[in-house]
Formats: sequence, structure tokens, C-alpha cells
Amino acid sequence: MDLDVHLDAIAHGDDRAFARWMAAAEPRVRAGLRSFAADVDTEAVLQEALLRAWQVAPRVQRDGRGDSLLRYTARTAHNLAIDEVRRRGRTRALEPDEDVAAPEVPLSDPALGAQLRGCLDALPDQPRRAVLARWEQGPVEHDRALAERLGMQLNTFLKNIGRARKALQDCLERAGVALGGA
Amino acid sequence: MDREALIAAVTSPHRERGVDGEVRPHPAWFDLDDAGRHEAFEQASASRRMEAALDPEGLSGTARAVLARIRR
Repeated sequence: MDLDVHLDAIAHGDDRAFARWMAAAEPRVRAGLRSFAADVDTEAVLQEALLRAWQVAPRVQRDGRGDSLLRYTARTAHNLAIDEVRRRGRTRALEPDEDVAAPEVPLSDPALGAQLRGCLDALPDQPRRAVLARWEQGPVEHDRALAERLGMQLNTFLKNIGRARKALQDCLERAGVALGGA
Repeated sequence: MDREALIAAVTSPHRERGVDGEVRPHPAWFDLDDAGRHEAFEQASASRRMEAALDPEGLSGTARAVLARIRR
């Protein structure tokens, strides 16, 4: 699907349209940053590129190839990563261009959600509380604050996050769902 | 903080902003070696997919962090 179907609404400041666009665009832009994983914090680069996409959307011109905003964002992420590599004096082979042709992995997946809820219920209490706190408030709060609220030391909280992620992925894999990153 | 905890820290979608307004790298990322950074990338990708699968709008922690910045 051409994600430019959301472009007019985004350009008019519709943040819900931007959210729908991000739900589909984010995994593709992230996949294009995989080769930079050792050189830059790809999460920071990705968020910066998405914020710039929102800011520049009113000025993005369609060129007839589709996915104009997605290609702008992937190119921005790639350039931000290259800038960071150069700033840190790291040496790496520069990739030819942004990878918007990466396989599209739909983030929204009701079947996965149902399976995941079952796996969550099977987690021990502490890892379950930690991962739920991270998923609910992690985008806007530092882990230290989340750990404090749960009465955990930061290191304990992070260990629980790691244990939960591993247990959830194992549970999903037993059900035939592979997410990678085991 | 040991390697496992550092990787778990880097998988958080929370990032601070610098004085210039740019999204800053997670401090724990600098303490990882190249293999640890690759592992953090893969684990974060898997976590984002799980977050989105449970979100009513299909949004990952990354998307929700960006929306929070926009709506602030």
C-alpha cells in the first residue's frame, strides 16, 4: 500500500493520520538502519527522522513513485546515521542508499496480540510487572522512574525486562511465531 | 551494570533530547561493544513488534514516543 494515502491529512496537522502512517512506516525505516546498529543508537536516529517527517510533511512533493514521505524519512534516517558515524570518527563502508524496499512487517497483528496476551499471563509476577510498565509508560518515562514505582532497583528492573522479553519470545516461538532477536 | 542489563536499557523507546532539541542516544548504548549493539537492535525490533501487537492502534513504543513529542 502506498503510504502517501495519509500524506494530505498529515500535511494538515492530523497527528492521528501520522500515527497510522508511522504504524506502517516505522518497521521499514528501522530495517534500513540495521547495518548501522554498531555505529549509532538506531532508536534515537529513527525517532529523530520520524519527528522530522512530521515537520516536513507539508512540504513533501509527490513524485509519482509512491511512498514519498516514507522515502524522505528513510533517506533522512540514513543521512542522520552517516552524520553520526562521521562525527564519532567511526570507519565503516557506507551503504548505497536508504532501504525502503525492506520486507514490510506489519506491526499491527491481532493474532500476534492474542497469542502474546496468553504468553504475558504465563510470566512470573516480577518480569510481567516490569514489561507491562515498560510498554505502558516506557515511551515517555525513564526506566529509573518505572523501577522506582515498582519498588525495584534499576538493575533488577532491567533484568526483569530481559527475562520477560526472552520468555515471551520463547512462548511465541513455541506457538510458531518468530520475532527474531532471541 | 552488566551486559544483559545494558542491552535491556537500550531497548527502551525512551530517549532524552539534547539542548539542541535532537533526540539523544541512550547512555547505555555507549557502554556496549559492537556485538552488544547488534543484539540490542534485534531485541528492540522484536520488542517494538510486540508492543504494536498489543496496542489498539498498532503503535509501538517508538511511535508513541514520537507522538508524545509532537503533542507536547
